[in-house]
Amino acid sequence: MSQQLITESQQVTSAGVTITNLSKSYGDNQVLDNISINVKPGSVTALIGPSGSGKSTLLRCINLLETPDEGTITVGTTTVEAGTRVSDRALLDLRRQVGMVFQSFNLFPHMSVLRNVAFPQEKILGRSREEAEERALTLLDRVGLREKAHQHPDRCSGGQQQRIAIVRALALNPRAMLFDEPTSALDPEVGLEVLAVMRELAAGGMTMIVVTHEMQFARDVSDHLVVMADGHIIEEGRPAEIMANPVQERTRRFLSAVLER
Amino acid sequence: MDLVQYLPQLCQGLLVSLQLTVISVVFGYAVGLLLALGVSSRLSWLKWPALVIVEVGRGIPSLVVLYVVYYGLPSVGLLFDNFAAAAIGLTFTVAAYSSEMLRAGIQSVHRGQKEAAMALGLPQPSTFTRIILPQGLRSSIPALMGLAIQSFQGTSLAYSISVSELMSNAYQSSSITFQYLQIYAITGLVFAVIAVPSTWTSVWVEHRLAKGFA
Repeated sequence: MSQQLITESQQVTSAGVTITNLSKSYGDNQVLDNISINVKPGSVTALIGPSGSGKSTLLRCINLLETPDEGTITVGTTTVEAGTRVSDRALLDLRRQVGMVFQSFNLFPHMSVLRNVAFPQEKILGRSREEAEERALTLLDRVGLREKAHQHPDRCSGGQQQRIAIVRALALNPRAMLFDEPTSALDPEVGLEVLAVMRELAAGGMTMIVVTHEMQFARDVSDHLVVMADGHIIEEGRPAEIMANPVQERTRRFLSAVLER
Repeated sequence: MDLVQYLPQLCQGLLVSLQLTVISVVFGYAVGLLLALGVSSRLSWLKWPALVIVEVGRGIPSLVVLYVVYYGLPSVGLLFDNFAAAAIGLTFTVAAYSSEMLRAGIQSVHRGQKEAAMALGLPQPSTFTRIILPQGLRSSIPALMGLAIQSFQGTSLAYSISVSELMSNAYQSSSITFQYLQIYAITGLVFAVIAVPSTWTSVWVEHRLAKGFA
């Protein structure tokens, strides 16, 4: 099933994501201070750290939901430089390459599940309605939600809604996926359904950047772990190593707090 | 005491009142939406004129607006017959009030909706027309239905610029018969017969919407 989900969604190859010297402030409050990360094509990077550490802001800078003050962002062949005027074309180009999944799902409540997945394809990729809906049904089937196609999102559980949100993003053939605490709004057992889909995606070779508190997922699935605090990267490396032997005291405290819960 | 003979005249008046309501609601809401977009605009040359129109429209009593349109505008060369003047004046007031309701509805749409659309790469115009506006309109519906009922009752003001709507016809009938109490009671009843079920409908719609939208 994993290979199916990814081949079904990937007609283009995964792209790398490179962030260089990224900084952002809200007034006097510096939320990101000179951050650089290199995410290889097809790899999974987990971003962890206490709340307020800037990990969500960093993620939201990648598709320019937040505007960084300084630094560059490269996704595949598209590079955006902070501080310069980004054309609408470059902005849409960047966002088309990067899919995003939110903590609160953000499905469109006035559309059926099918339309949620098909409508963006029609508008963004110019697919016909038939083509878009056929593809939507195929992808929904892959995550076991084909029978929900004609219902509205409010008739679906949180775990189902999040899987639909993932499918909605995948339907646009993104070259990388961003996940902003995708399971934080879900009961633990429901979160597992979502994590299962994410595992498949990772196994299929999707480039993924995941802000998460799911340590087991971070350890099992991610290739690279980035620990943030106060707008800085305080530690990064192989997940198993960092979790077993954190170098920084701050990391140690954070890990024990999360793991004890 | 044959009040029944005045019913046809009252019904004629009711028809005019309903016409005024439909015109002022349809055009008023359309203009109201444009005003709401103007007030929310970042372009100051759009924002400020829209804001002035909305505040003037909400600040001035409907009756004064009708007098300005009917008696005032001819002095600058804009002459309307009484029905047109009433339609224009009421539309103006309805537009001003509805614009704030629509703006509140549009603003109530969760920020995540816009972010999701942006993250997908939807262009701004379709984000607004296909994602934000339908949800905003939907949450404005209860307030707009209430305003429509008020507009219907407000058409009685057109009597003052001699439009032969319900109120005006009631006045004529009562001045012939001197049965003020009976005729105005019937008139009130006619207004209520329309307005009360409409209010029930709007409450019902509000409940339906609340249920359908988690």
